[in-house]
Amino acid sequence: MVCIRQATVDDLLAMQNCNLLCLPENYQMKYYLYHILSWPQLLYVAEDYNKKIVGYVLAKMEEESTECHGHITSLAVLRTHRKLGLATKLMNAAQRAMQEVFGAEYVSLHVRKSNRAAFHLYTKTLGYKISDIEAKYYADGEDAFDMRKDLKPKLKVDKTAVASVAAEVEKLAVSDAKTDPASADVGAAAGKKPAEKAKDEGNNPTAKRGKGDKYQGVVAANGDKEQSKKGGGAGTKIVPSVT
Amino acid sequence: MGTSLPPKEANLFKVIVKSYETKQYKKGLKASDNILKKFPEHGETLAMRGLTLNCMDRKAEAYELVRRGVKNDLKSHVCWHVYGLLYRSDREYREAIKCYRNALRIDPENIQILRDLSLLQAQMRDMAGFVETRRQLLTIKPSHRANWIGFAIAHHCNYDAAMAVQILEAYEGTLEDDYPPDNERYEHSEMLLYKVTLLQESGAPEKALAELNSKESKIVDKVGLKELRASLLVALNRLGEAEDVYRYLLDMNPDNYGYYEGLQKCLGLRLQGTDGYTPEQVEKLVELYTSLRAQYPKSSAAKRIPLDFLQGSQFVEAAKTYIAFFLSKGVPSLFSDILPLYDQRGKADVLEEIVLQIETSLKDTGSLPGGSYVEPPPTLMWTLFLLAQHYDRRRLYGKALEKIDEAIKHTPTAIDLYLVKGRIMKHAGDRVAAAALADEARSMDLADRFINSECVKRLLQADLVDLAEKTAVLFTKDGDQHNNLFDMQCMWYELASGDSYWRKDMLGKALKNYLAVEKHYTDMLEDQFDFHTYCLRKMTLRAYIRMLKFEDTLHSHRFFCRAAAAAIRCYLKRHDTPPKSSEGEEEIAVAGLPPNERKRLRQKMRKAEAKAKKAAEEKAKEDEALALSNAKSNKKGSQVTKQVDDDPDGEKLLQVSDPLEQAIKYCKLLQENSSGALETHLLAFDIYFRKKKILLAFQAVKKQLKLDASNPNVHRNLISFFNMVDNLPAAETPGEKLVRQVIAVERDALSILGNQPLLEVNRAFLEANKDSLLHRAAAAEVLALLSPESKEEAVKIIEDSVNPPVAEGGAIAAGVGEWVLKDCVAVHKILLTVMKDENAASRWRVRMADLFPYSTYFVGPKSSAVVEAASQVPSSVSK
Repeated sequence: MVCIRQATVDDLLAMQNCNLLCLPENYQMKYYLYHILSWPQLLYVAEDYNKKIVGYVLAKMEEESTECHGHITSLAVLRTHRKLGLATKLMNAAQRAMQEVFGAEYVSLHVRKSNRAAFHLYTKTLGYKISDIEAKYYADGEDAFDMRKDLKPKLKVDKTAVASVAAEVEKLAVSDAKTDPASADVGAAAGKKPAEKAKDEGNNPTAKRGKGDKYQGVVAANGDKEQSKKGGGAGTKIVPSVT
Repeated sequence: MGTSLPPKEANLFKVIVKSYETKQYKKGLKASDNILKKFPEHGETLAMRGLTLNCMDRKAEAYELVRRGVKNDLKSHVCWHVYGLLYRSDREYREAIKCYRNALRIDPENIQILRDLSLLQAQMRDMAGFVETRRQLLTIKPSHRANWIGFAIAHHCNYDAAMAVQILEAYEGTLEDDYPPDNERYEHSEMLLYKVTLLQESGAPEKALAELNSKESKIVDKVGLKELRASLLVALNRLGEAEDVYRYLLDMNPDNYGYYEGLQKCLGLRLQGTDGYTPEQVEKLVELYTSLRAQYPKSSAAKRIPLDFLQGSQFVEAAKTYIAFFLSKGVPSLFSDILPLYDQRGKADVLEEIVLQIETSLKDTGSLPGGSYVEPPPTLMWTLFLLAQHYDRRRLYGKALEKIDEAIKHTPTAIDLYLVKGRIMKHAGDRVAAAALADEARSMDLADRFINSECVKRLLQADLVDLAEKTAVLFTKDGDQHNNLFDMQCMWYELASGDSYWRKDMLGKALKNYLAVEKHYTDMLEDQFDFHTYCLRKMTLRAYIRMLKFEDTLHSHRFFCRAAAAAIRCYLKRHDTPPKSSEGEEEIAVAGLPPNERKRLRQKMRKAEAKAKKAAEEKAKEDEALALSNAKSNKKGSQVTKQVDDDPDGEKLLQVSDPLEQAIKYCKLLQENSSGALETHLLAFDIYFRKKKILLAFQAVKKQLKLDASNPNVHRNLISFFNMVDNLPAAETPGEKLVRQVIAVERDALSILGNQPLLEVNRAFLEANKDSLLHRAAAAEVLALLSPESKEEAVKIIEDSVNPPVAEGGAIAAGVGEWVLKDCVAVHKILLTVMKDENAASRWRVRMADLFPYSTYFVGPKSSAVVEAASQVPSSVSK
């Protein structure tokens, strides 16, 4: 019925279209590019027999956090393609890659408090647990559950304290314009500026909003609100060839 | 840097640079003031001050200052670099490259400038230059990993994969044995996989496989590794080993169709040509998929794929099981899943029989055929749902509606039923009813954006644009719908909205929507810029190379093609019908209405105008107040102030002095990126024909002939082109004479004309295609063009067309007429606007209303056009 496979760059336009049809949290193409060019193994699509993209998962790694973990940015399946377990299959594929390729300890996601169906999918089918509540996470003022699922049968490291701090940090990072992920050029002078600053700020409306706060069909719809981060600082730095 | 300044000022200069880099622009400006007080003509300071102002949205000043800076200090690489950065910020890459080159002439080993230059070269696909710049960077700083990788990538982009491999190997030679450290395992793994794909690409699969095997322990992307290994083994014809890998992959993901395909390849069960599989192959395939189904009972792929190759009774049995299983599960997408089977001869009939049997059995016994278990009620609903879509596909709209209504009666709360009913109505030609149904579905679950989108789509198709906008707004922030859908690059909406405005003849608004789509593609092309450096650092090189290819073919994507073609049509129409005064527009709006209605509408329009004016005034006041408060709070005013759209109706876009020149701009993009599409050359012809560019128009005709010589539009263009040439005044200038000669030679060479008079060519065309409606219509049009006195005959050619019943065994039910609604509407328009024969058009309408009873266009007896009009009769009578 439906093929589950890793996404390629050529799928991104169809993924964006699918997202715009299904979910209230949307992103510009650059954000999709940023994902696939950072963690190409973490994007999966569901493609039907007519070669149409009917679902996708967009995920990433949180590399700046103390514990290496994955994060589901967005997950959607067209309403017309419910009851095939596509959301579960997409999530499993992404989670597996997080663990296998990037050594993720756990995976996190945000879901609207009111989205009962998605909540059910995450807790009952996929085994996520509530880790925190983020007040007014969405643009319309709704709270989000910060949910997590362990990916490894953990060797208990005493990181509980660290984890709660990490959660706080993450929360700040979400609402704040995060440091450009591309800023840590190996060997290059630090302090690159994100390219197109004006665009960074001007385009800000990207992710958040929505009255469509309910579970979107039998589609998992967590819709990350995090702003589309720019792919890379293009290095507008003037290097004074200091003599 | 900061040369020729005393220490105090030199320090201040450093402050400017630092402030720029940390975005503390005010601080930078202050520092520059202090330097300029003493050294008002200091070039580098002027330039940096300009660059700083550029970031504060003061473009004009910025350019002026930077240029002055360069002028004052032509020997400063800083000035040139800054000038380049300024151009780059405006995406003027060619100019920027020139500036960087000047800077490098002064300071040839400046790493930052070289790096900036290499980015622009990658962006502009100046691959030879890219290689050279990357070579310099590596030479200057070989200790830097990114420089090795960049040099390899450059060679790869410059079509030298083998050289890229050599560079990566040289780089690997610099690494310790125990490389990589834990925190760089992923990056190293990506580099290794990239290298293997390079070897594969350079035609060395053996080396590639050896490399893959020897580095296996260092590769963390296990799926990528296996997939690559499988394809390499297939390339090396080591099919047994490849089979093992594919089976391993299937074990991991039995829903990936690519793995099944790979496995078939390994077993010699690959589809050859279009003849389908041989009987021996089918036998083996049956065996293969029987075992796979047992192995992966949950995989739908193993169940679905056999339906493609099975025939006869085997197909019947497999399809029965398959359909019953998913109906019982209540899977709404079952129909779209089996849809491709309809194109295989005879399968549509078989499927119909199977589903009808299931329906009967469920109604009679409550169980599926041959089953004893009583199905829950939804199974019958999903069966009716499937049947409705089935009849819809077979163009039996009456039956389709019967089934969907039965399903709705069975379960009135199932939203999907309304969506499908809306779709049937749309196919049958009643867009108004389709929109009403979609809106009903929407009202049943207001929180589901998918239903909202579907509804908006239907509303736009029914040309209810305002309502569509209001509906779409429900899911976008602040009700600020337009900006938001635009910001989020919501192209399906822009296209559908543009199409609706086009039908309503509101060209400005239509064009605005189409150009918005075009803008998104320009932005997406721009998006790649930052990734040229980013990917070198992240080492996601395989994805990066794919991204470059994606960007190179971006403008062949279907949304772009649709938008560009539609924009061209807007410009063509604007060219054909130059603007009228606003009063004229009003006249158009009220034309054709009875006098009392006319008066009412005029009053309404005037009221609306007054209201709009008042609203605009209020808005202006608000904006002013907002700007004021922004200025007071001293925030980044330019960014806080909402951007006001000064051309909401797209009138300015439309008011270009030469619409055809604009059309050419977009046509060129289509010619470059979609030269395989007939439409591209049809549009090119339409433009150049009007522009009287004879050779270019002829070139378009030749391309069309090559792609589809028997296409009715191509025929029309071919004849009208030579008719135009025949009627040109005698050539005067030597240039004109030359053009005529070329055309004459080409004309003789065209076998399709066979040196016959155009009327004769047209007659032959008609004779050869006399059973096709659109061909007849084209022949009629051409006849009327060549010989206006034969118009009656032309109209007769159209009216004498007969609608042949389709043959048995196809997707469409046997006996249904071949004609489709869209073509019949086009013919009606030809009768009306080309033949200008209202009587014939009216006769055509009546005939089509009978053929398409649900069509609102033809006012079919079952369409909402009639149903609504009927319900309005009493009120108008009572007046």
